[in-house]
Amino acid sequence: MNQETKTYRKGEIPGIIAINARECKGCDACKRFCPTGAITGMFGTTHRVDVDRCISCGQCLINCPFGAPYETVDPVDEVAAKLADKHVTVVGIIAPAVRVAIGEPFGMPAGSLVTGKMYSAMKKAGFVILDNNFAADLTIMEEGTEFIQRARHALFGEKAEHGGGIGPLPQFTSCCPAWVRFVETNYPALIPNLSSAKSPQQMAGAVAKTYGAAQVFNVAPESVYTVGIMPCTAKKFEASRPEFQSAWHFTKEKGGSAPSAPYPDIDAVLTTRDLARLLKKMKINLAAENDAEGGTLFAEYTGAGTIFGNTGGVMEAALRTAWVVLTGTPLSKIEFTAVRGLKGVKSAAVTLRDRKYGKEVTVKVAVVHDIRANIRPIVEEVMAGRSPYHFIEVMNCPGGCINGGGQPVCDTGSSWIGRVLPSFAWS
Amino acid sequence: MTESSFILKHPLRVRVFHYLLAASFLTLAVTGIMLYFKLLAEPAMNTAMQVHVVAGVVLTMDALAFFFLAFDRVVLFTKRTFTFSGNDIKWFAVLGGYPQKILLHKKVDVPPMGKYNAGQKLFGICVLVGGTLLILSGWVLWALPHAVPHGAASMIGSIHLYASWVLILFLFVHLFLGIYMWDDFKAMFVDGRIPYEDAAEKAPLWVKNDLRRLG
Repeated sequence: MNQETKTYRKGEIPGIIAINARECKGCDACKRFCPTGAITGMFGTTHRVDVDRCISCGQCLINCPFGAPYETVDPVDEVAAKLADKHVTVVGIIAPAVRVAIGEPFGMPAGSLVTGKMYSAMKKAGFVILDNNFAADLTIMEEGTEFIQRARHALFGEKAEHGGGIGPLPQFTSCCPAWVRFVETNYPALIPNLSSAKSPQQMAGAVAKTYGAAQVFNVAPESVYTVGIMPCTAKKFEASRPEFQSAWHFTKEKGGSAPSAPYPDIDAVLTTRDLARLLKKMKINLAAENDAEGGTLFAEYTGAGTIFGNTGGVMEAALRTAWVVLTGTPLSKIEFTAVRGLKGVKSAAVTLRDRKYGKEVTVKVAVVHDIRANIRPIVEEVMAGRSPYHFIEVMNCPGGCINGGGQPVCDTGSSWIGRVLPSFAWS
Repeated sequence: MTESSFILKHPLRVRVFHYLLAASFLTLAVTGIMLYFKLLAEPAMNTAMQVHVVAGVVLTMDALAFFFLAFDRVVLFTKRTFTFSGNDIKWFAVLGGYPQKILLHKKVDVPPMGKYNAGQKLFGICVLVGGTLLILSGWVLWALPHAVPHGAASMIGSIHLYASWVLILFLFVHLFLGIYMWDDFKAMFVDGRIPYEDAAEKAPLWVKNDLRRLG
């Protein structure tokens, strides 16, 4: 346990976000975006981040009108040094939401999809590509299968295939590290409800240093340096969690040449902003690059992985998986439009026939984003045992990862004037 | 001195506007300095911010009221402050004779001025432009920071800061000379009138060209 903090374990980065006292005007704008009330300081005074309450989502950072919040962890120089080291295989793990935002810092219109240009720029920088969409596909297979197991356990009393306990319903998604930390620090009783599946970033890191090192890169695991390229500041925190050293444990158990000190599955995390700085530092103009292919098995993925970056994307992908596994038939129409869109809480009910038990099952799902505004009634309902849902997707940021705290800061302002006007200074 | 030897320099509307302006701007300057240098403990800083906001609203209301209820005075003031001649340059060359008078007790030739001397015109321009910028930027910073682009919010913060520093520095000069010219000070804060001889000496072109005897 860190001596100065109460909610971090040894090794975890205690607080990714801090506030520059020189830039802070004490205007309170950041407080309106903080999902946990972690920003302290009265109106007119320099604000501070209570790291024990902070979930590192970075919403304050991208919404502060004066640019006062900043990231405490900047791995750009370290990644640049690794890229320059010919003995290191640097794996760039690119999240779905990065490819529609990384064009902006290079003068391209907001929302430009630049997957091919990004592959090209990153390969030029020295990265090997592992598209996180590939890992998102892995995640949804795990998460969807886990949900089926929990549902069959709840409905039909099915036991775990390999023994052990089965988590309760509703199952919450666990891809969003800010949400996971929110549960851990605010509703620890609901930790069993979180899916036990790792996030795509963490699956990618473990795969890169095990299967990837042995079968794709043909190098020793310890010479693989994994870099999450994420739209999210909380991913920096997630990578520092001590349980995410699976590749080291695996290699050691298999008798491989693992060093005595454990290494993390993810060595560094660059936000979209960080990647732009890195490429500019290396004088690579992404906008001028031609499209390139990923070049490895790890750049192959399905549409289910791609939609992970949007609110509703994980749920839609999970429903597709659940449908096929439970019914044994392919979907005639793969879109679940009820879970799309920007409504704070979306819900849907899908009736399907479980071929194993020969019974119809109605799966009730909910999709929540912008947890500051929307999550508490949902979790209170679960805590009280009154939740109608079986599966709930939660993403911290409004709109999902595409609006994550690591994305380029929008210079065009936002439109929450309606929420500001009633309160002014005395909020 | 007889009653007829006094002339009205500051009408009631101007004096009321100035009372509120002085009270609100001094409050804004003091609290603004506290906020900028972060001089106090957190609760006191919070109070300073709240007072700053209230004083800003008072200043805004005062400026709007004067603009709409005394539009003729606004036009006249603007016209006078933005009317220049060679005499203004000559006035600046000797700084109105004030340093010589105050520091050396010497009297030097000062070119004839209108109602406002060249220094007052410069101050007037700063008040008109800087005051408008301060009011507009203050409202954006307080109430609508997210209604403007991020880069603009930062720029507006800088405008607010620099405009306030210019006016605060000018305020010291204004206060000093206002008190130094005691008759004018009394006129602005009491009955609006100054001795004819004083006006004829300090603003001969105003007396000659603009004044007319009533009754």
